[in-house]
Amino acid sequence: MKIYFTLNGRNVDIDAVPTDRLIDVLRDQLQLKGVKEGCGEGECGACTVLLDGDPVNACLMLAGQVHGKDLLTVEGLTTDGALHPVQAAFAETGAVQCGFCTPGFIMSTVALLQRIPTPTDEQIIHALAGHVCRCTGYRKILDAVRRATELLAQEVPLN
Amino acid sequence: MEYVRATTLEDLRTHLQRSGARIICGGTDLLVKMRHGMAAPDVLIDIGELEELAKVQVIDDEVHIGAATRESILLRTPQVGDHLPLLCQVLQSLGAEQIRNRGSLGGNLANASPAADSAIPLLLYDARLRLVDATQDRWVSIDEFLLGPGKTVLSSGEFIHTVAIPFQPPEWRAFYHKVGRRRALIISIASLGVLIDYQDGVVHEIRVAAGSVAPTAIRLRAVEELLAGRALSKGLIEEARLLASASVCPINDIRATETYRRTVVGNLLERFLMSLLDPMA
Repeated sequence: MKIYFTLNGRNVDIDAVPTDRLIDVLRDQLQLKGVKEGCGEGECGACTVLLDGDPVNACLMLAGQVHGKDLLTVEGLTTDGALHPVQAAFAETGAVQCGFCTPGFIMSTVALLQRIPTPTDEQIIHALAGHVCRCTGYRKILDAVRRATELLAQEVPLN
Repeated sequence: MEYVRATTLEDLRTHLQRSGARIICGGTDLLVKMRHGMAAPDVLIDIGELEELAKVQVIDDEVHIGAATRESILLRTPQVGDHLPLLCQVLQSLGAEQIRNRGSLGGNLANASPAADSAIPLLLYDARLRLVDATQDRWVSIDEFLLGPGKTVLSSGEFIHTVAIPFQPPEWRAFYHKVGRRRALIISIASLGVLIDYQDGVVHEIRVAAGSVAPTAIRLRAVEELLAGRALSKGLIEEARLLASASVCPINDIRATETYRRTVVGNLLERFLMSLLDPMA
């Protein structure tokens, strides 16, 4: 089936089996290895991508369901080689250890901060509750989100 | 496996009559079941873009929610927040952001897990479901709808069209707690919801619903009858706690034992009633 959607800001059309998992299409057909499979069941958040701006698990979506949608993966955050402020914050605060959970956390953080530019700790925890991290103990990840709010506030808005 | 997108009710009615056809909306339960070999549809009918089934309307002191409405949309819909605050409270604890952005209210009900989160507030609200197939259009109560683990009254070819929920009475108080191993993405070990009209120390009316402690989510009607019209006291609360524990029929499974679940249900009720009796404690 032909599937048309917007991927990381570009219109794409692909030929895919509509019942193939989105995570497999993104990783194998489109070479977007930033979408990680931690569990394949929507329990770990490692495969989180933004669908029309909202976090979803790519392992629980079918290729056919992305038709006509706007999809953003972690690869779509960097522009011209420069890290997105959320990525910079995660790196800066030491919130990345093995890095496997990181793209997923980053995508949920991007979505959160677009909706709530200065979230409370409770709001951060609620937004990130769909992710697990085996390495960090989570504190640095919370620091990263707080640091990201500062970095984003410093950004000069483009008109 | 075939995949079709239903963009009209006609599409859906037609395709659902085919052998081995199943509806997919959010897919957050179905795809997991398929992965574990517990479901193997021949045809997947995607209703995720079927706008007719994703409307939220207020009609005569009820909120009518289309079965394909995503949980996250409900949480952002003012009419739901205004009139059904307990439903919002429960939905906040369902899954996680990623699940709520895909999962639908109808899907949570049709999947009919004994742990189905949305069943608790719907039982407390005495919600009704509109069920439709090629020839029939009928309403059933949420009580009648749920039959057992994974079982509902839906016949083959039939789907949930709308969930109709009477407004939560504003003077009533609500309580909900879900017990599980982590904060999010839990299939509850036990859950309890209460709606109560409590004035001047007297229970005018109370509704109690429990999840994961019976083949379906259930109302604890014996407990409701015990408490209706009575003044709360420590003694009465203790009676209610014991009766709640006795009223449920949990099982041992990988998440918890029968005894634990039975005890927790009683304790949750006691905790809530004590908070009414003695708010300073």
